[in-house]
Amino acid sequence: MWQRIKEVKDGPLFWILPTGAVLIVFYLYPLFDVLRMSFTDAYLFIRPGYSYTLESYSHLLTTPDFFFMLRITFIFVSASVLFQLLLGLFIALVINEGTRRGLSGTVVTRTTVLCAWILPGVVIGIIWRMLLSGSPYGVVNYLIERVGFNKLPFLFSPSFALVSVIIANIWRGTAFTMILQYAGLQKIPPELYEAARVDGASASQLLRYVVIPQLRSMLFINVVLITIYTFNTFDIIIALTGGGPARSTEVIALNVYNTIFKFLDLGTGAAIAVILLFINLVMSLVYYRFFRVETEVEI
Amino acid sequence: MIRDSFKVRGMDITLYMCYFVIIAFFIGPLLWVVSLSLKTPSEIFAYPPQLIPNRLAIENYATVWTRSHIPLWIFNSFKIVMFTVIGCLSVSIPAAFAFSRFRFKGKREAMFGILAFQMISPMIILIPLYRYFSALNLLDTHLGLVMIYIAVQTPFTVWLLKGFFDSIPQSLDDAAMVDGCSRIQALFRIILPISVPGIAAAIVFIIVQSWSQFIVPFILLTNLKLLPISVGIFHFQFVQVEISTQLLAAASILAILPVILIFVVLQRFIVQFLIAGAVKG
Repeated sequence: MWQRIKEVKDGPLFWILPTGAVLIVFYLYPLFDVLRMSFTDAYLFIRPGYSYTLESYSHLLTTPDFFFMLRITFIFVSASVLFQLLLGLFIALVINEGTRRGLSGTVVTRTTVLCAWILPGVVIGIIWRMLLSGSPYGVVNYLIERVGFNKLPFLFSPSFALVSVIIANIWRGTAFTMILQYAGLQKIPPELYEAARVDGASASQLLRYVVIPQLRSMLFINVVLITIYTFNTFDIIIALTGGGPARSTEVIALNVYNTIFKFLDLGTGAAIAVILLFINLVMSLVYYRFFRVETEVEI
Repeated sequence: MIRDSFKVRGMDITLYMCYFVIIAFFIGPLLWVVSLSLKTPSEIFAYPPQLIPNRLAIENYATVWTRSHIPLWIFNSFKIVMFTVIGCLSVSIPAAFAFSRFRFKGKREAMFGILAFQMISPMIILIPLYRYFSALNLLDTHLGLVMIYIAVQTPFTVWLLKGFFDSIPQSLDDAAMVDGCSRIQALFRIILPISVPGIAAAIVFIIVQSWSQFIVPFILLTNLKLLPISVGIFHFQFVQVEISTQLLAAASILAILPVILIFVVLQRFIVQFLIAGAVKG
C-alpha cells in the first residue's frame, strides 16, 4: 500500500496533475459538450429545454449562407497563407543575407516586422480601418490618388472589404513565417552554398536548387501552422469590418459568434463550431504525423 | 577584382533598399496613427494629409486619459495579465519539469495532446464555458476570466519551459538528489534559479498574448468597468464619432504602448525561444 502511494508520489502523474486538470476542465470537457450541443435544438436565453436532433447539421447543409461563409473563409485563408508565406520567406532571405554580410539595421528590420505581429488584433483592425478609410485621413487612398487612380471603396464594397481584411492579416501574420524560415535558413549547412557557388550557380539557381529544397519541411510546418491560425481569426476582422458589408467578410469564427450570441441559435452555432474544431484537429494531426516522421526530435 | 567589389556593394545596396521597403510597410501604418493622434480635428480632415502635424496636439492624449475609461481598462489589463502569469507558471512549471525529466508511457502522445489544445480556437470552448459561468455566476468577474486565460496560455508555456529544462543537464538534479534533496527541492533550489532566462521568455509570451486576448473577455464580460484594454478599445471605437478620429488614434497608441515597450526591450532575449517554440507550436 505505502509502496503504491510512494510510486505515485515519485511518478510523473503528481507533477502533471495541475496542467491536466486545467486542460480537462477548460478544454476537453467543453469540447465534448460542444459536440453534444451540436446535436440539439438548444437556444441561448430564449427557452431553457432542448431535445436531441440532427437538424442543426441538415439545416446547415441546405442553406446557401453556410456555403457562402465557407467560400469566404476559404478565400481569406488561402490568400492570407499564400501571401504571408511569400512575403515572410522573402523577408527571411533578405534578413539572412543581411546577417551574413553583417549589415547594420538587420535587427531593427526584424523587430519592426515582429512588432506588427505582437499587436492586439483589435488594434490592428482599428488601425487599418483608419488607413483604408475614404476620408482625407485614409492614407492608402491618398497614395492611390497621388499615383493617378481613383479612390477604392476598401470598406464599403463586399469584394474590396475581403481584400482589406486579407491585407491587414498579411501585415499581422508575416512575422511568424519570417521567424520560421529564418530559423530554417540558418540550419542550411554553409558547404551547400559553397558547393553551388563553385559549380557557378546563379542566385536564382541557388534559391531554386539549394535553398527551397532544404527549407521544404520547414515550409510545410509553416503552411500547416498559419493555416490553423488563420482559420481561427476573429479579432482583426471584427474590428476592421465587423464581418460586413453584407456578411462579405464573415469568416467561420465570426459566423459561430454571430449565430450563437447574436441569433442565440446555440444548436446551429455549436454545429459550425464543431466544423471549425474538425478543421483544427485535422490540421494538428497532419502536423503531428509530419513532425514524427520528419524530425528526429527526442521528446 | 574591382568589378567583384562593385558587385558586392551593389548587393549591399539592394539589401538596404529591401530593408527600407520592409520597414516602411511595417512601421508606416503605426507612424501614420501616431501622426493622426497628434493632429487637431481640422488637420485630420485637411487635404492633402500631412505626416507631420503643424503643432503637436498632445492634448488629445490628455483628453483620452482623463475623459474615458482607457486608463481603467489599461489597469484592468495589467491586473488580469499579472494573475495570468502567476497562475500559468504555477500550473506549467511542474508539468514541463515532469515532461523533461521523467520517461513514461504515453509521454509523446500527452505532449502532442497538449499541443493540439493550442491549435483549437478559444471560440469553441467558450460556447459551453459561457453557460457554465453563467450558472456559477462567474460571468463579469476577473476570477472567471483569469482561469480561462491560464488555460489558454498553458499549452504553449509547457512546451516552451520543457524545451528549456531539456537544455539543463540531468546530472545537476542527480547531484542534488544524491545530496539528499527531494525532486521538488531539486527543482526549486537548483533548476529554477538557473532557468531564469527560460521563465523570463515564458513571461514575455504570456504577457504579449494575454494583453491581446480578445474573444474570451469579449464573450464573458459586459460590465464596461471590468473590460481589459483589448475589448475596451473596441467599444471606444463606437463611442467616438467620426470627428474624433484623433482621439481613437491616441487611444490606440496608449493601448499598444505597454506591450510594444516590453517587447522591444526584451525581444533580443526571446527571439531564440520564439524560433524553438514556433517550430513546435
